[in-house]
Amino acid sequence: MILHEQKHNDIDVLELSGRFIMADTPEVRNRLNDMIKEGSGKLIIDLEKVTFIDSSACAVLISAFKNMQIKSGRLVLVTSPVVQSLIELTRLHTIFEILPNLPSALNALE
Amino acid sequence: MTENISATDIITLKIVSDPKNVSPLGEAIYALCLYATNSEICAHNIQLAVVEALNNVILHAYKSQTGNDIIVQWSQTTDCLYVEIIDFGISMITMPAGSLPVFEAESGRGWWIINACVDEYYYKVVECVERERVCSPLPKGNGLEAISVKSAKNTLTLIKHF
Repeated sequence: MILHEQKHNDIDVLELSGRFIMADTPEVRNRLNDMIKEGSGKLIIDLEKVTFIDSSACAVLISAFKNMQIKSGRLVLVTSPVVQSLIELTRLHTIFEILPNLPSALNALE
Repeated sequence: MTENISATDIITLKIVSDPKNVSPLGEAIYALCLYATNSEICAHNIQLAVVEALNNVILHAYKSQTGNDIIVQWSQTTDCLYVEIIDFGISMITMPAGSLPVFEAESGRGWWIINACVDEYYYKVVECVERERVCSPLPKGNGLEAISVKSAKNTLTLIKHF
C-alpha cells in the first residue's frame, strides 16, 4: 500500500494505491486522523489505484466519514471498480459521496 | 463434501497469524482460483472471502496475537472450488448471522461479505478434551468427573461453484 498526500488549495487529498487490507489500516487511519484534524474540512480519499480492499479498510473509511461529520466537513471518495464493488456490496454507497475521478471530486469541493 | 478429493489434489499453504501475511496468501488463492476457473470475478470473490476469514481468525480466534498457525487448503473438483481455513485458536460457538450492521459500525461486515462471495460455507470444530475422573472408596465419591478442552482445531470450509 502506497500513500501519497496532496493539497489542492484548501482541499486535502490522500491517494492510496495497491492493496488496502487489515495490515494497512493503522497507517491509513493515523494519516487520515491527522489530515482531518489539521485540514480545512474538505477531504478526498482517492482509491482509484486500489486493486483490492476488505472490510477492515471500509472501517477506516467509515471512521474518516464520522470524523469529518464531527468537524462539519465534507468527505468525497474516488473509487476503482474493485472498491466500488465492495462499497456497493456493503451498502456504503448510500452514505458516502463517491465520484469517478479526482478532477470531478476536486470540482465538487471547490 | 470433499469425499471426491484425494489428499494429493490438495494444495496446502501455511502462515502465522500476522496481518502482513494475509495479502500474499490472498494473492496465492486468487492465482489458484484464476488458474482453475479462468474467471477473474470468481477468483476475486474467493480471495475476498478468504481474506475476510483470515482477518476473523487473527482478530477473534487468536485475539490479534501473532505467531499462531493458520493453514489454508485449496482443492477443486470439476465444477467446484474448496478452501479450508484451519486454526487452533478460540472456537466460535455459533456461526455469525451474516447480516449488515448499522452504517456507523466499523466492524461486523466480514460474514456478510463471505456469505455474498461463496455459495456455501460451514464451520467444524474438533476438540481434544481432557477427562479427569476421581474415584474413592466412599460410595458417594465415585463418578466425580471434570472435562476440559485442551485444544481445538477449527475449520471453515468455503465452497464456490463455477
